[in-house]
Amino acid sequence: MAANKASRLGEETRIDKVNAELVVLTYGTIVSQLCKDFDSDYVEVNKQLDKMGYNIGLRLIEDYLAKSNTVRRCSNFKETAEMIAKVGFKIFLNITPTIANWTNDGKQFSLIFDENPFADFVELPDDGRAQDELWYSNILCGVLRGALEMVQMQVEAHFISDVLRGNDTTEMRITLIRYIDDELPPEDD
Amino acid sequence: MATTLPSIACLGVIGRNNNPLHISIFNSYDPSTTSFRPIRTPLQFSLLLSSTLDVFELRSRAHAATGTGLTGDFGLLHAVDERLAAYGFETNTGVKFVVVVDMRGRRASTTSGVVGEAEGKRSNAAGGGTTAGVGLREGEMRVVFKAMQAAYIRLMQNPFYDPDEHSPVSGPGKKITSRRFGEDMRRIGEGWVPGVASL
Repeated sequence: MAANKASRLGEETRIDKVNAELVVLTYGTIVSQLCKDFDSDYVEVNKQLDKMGYNIGLRLIEDYLAKSNTVRRCSNFKETAEMIAKVGFKIFLNITPTIANWTNDGKQFSLIFDENPFADFVELPDDGRAQDELWYSNILCGVLRGALEMVQMQVEAHFISDVLRGNDTTEMRITLIRYIDDELPPEDD
Repeated sequence: MATTLPSIACLGVIGRNNNPLHISIFNSYDPSTTSFRPIRTPLQFSLLLSSTLDVFELRSRAHAATGTGLTGDFGLLHAVDERLAAYGFETNTGVKFVVVVDMRGRRASTTSGVVGEAEGKRSNAAGGGTTAGVGLREGEMRVVFKAMQAAYIRLMQNPFYDPDEHSPVSGPGKKITSRRFGEDMRRIGEGWVPGVASL
């Protein structure tokens, strides 16, 4: 029920389009430039990508809320996951990752990317380390973290497999840490 | 004579500064030993590719003077002997693709995979395909160049491939190390038979 509604919402939302190659090449340039700037310290590159994504997420959520015409809060984290996969990703990247591997407590799930527009054409550097250390699309983790933080959810997101590394699937693991209570303004004594 | 067919013996990619970027060498059928092995050594192929560069330059000058040749297809560059012939293509950015065809590189009786499928077309081509240089119809190589160009474009789209490192103004520069590009070249070189529609 909720799932159907989410995918309908994702389909219906009309958004401006931008040439895919432009996005892919821009993102690719960012990643390869980061690799150069940090002397192929891929752990650091992952961190930077996550940070950039976080800053994007903080702003993008506003756009998402406006474009998706959401009228109410998600009642639970499962619904949130549906909205992320079927509305958010649909609007901004025109893909719909599959939601899978829920833990029993309903606080952790995976997004499996059957297609990843960022990774088109990409071949990781053949230096023996990039294959094990670099998460090429790590910016997406940051985006989710930033966007969800703005709607009172603290999450942790990281990739656990990537076809670029030779894995069968591209899978991101997302964990809900806590709902953030609206902070009260400091009392003046 | 009709027991052999043309095949690709070597694919070469040459950068804008005439620097070698990639060379793939393929096996040819050797009837005397009924085995498959490259018809020349890597060094000989390398020299053969270098020798086409002068032809490229002459042709492009001629093209510039007459305002023709905008497709990039340079046609037959060099008929080496009765077996080998080199065909060329140059993109507008100066990257050159060279295909060296062995007119008798493939055994016609082989009935497996790609070879078997194109049976009908092959027997047509084989009729006149015994003399070097004239054995292939005009535009026969176009499909190969298209496929090579597509592979090269895909390589260029990879953000970790740096074109400047590969064709610097001075010095020899790096060769293409991409595994996917190598696989593409292999697929093209092994998959091509005269008359094939796409690679």
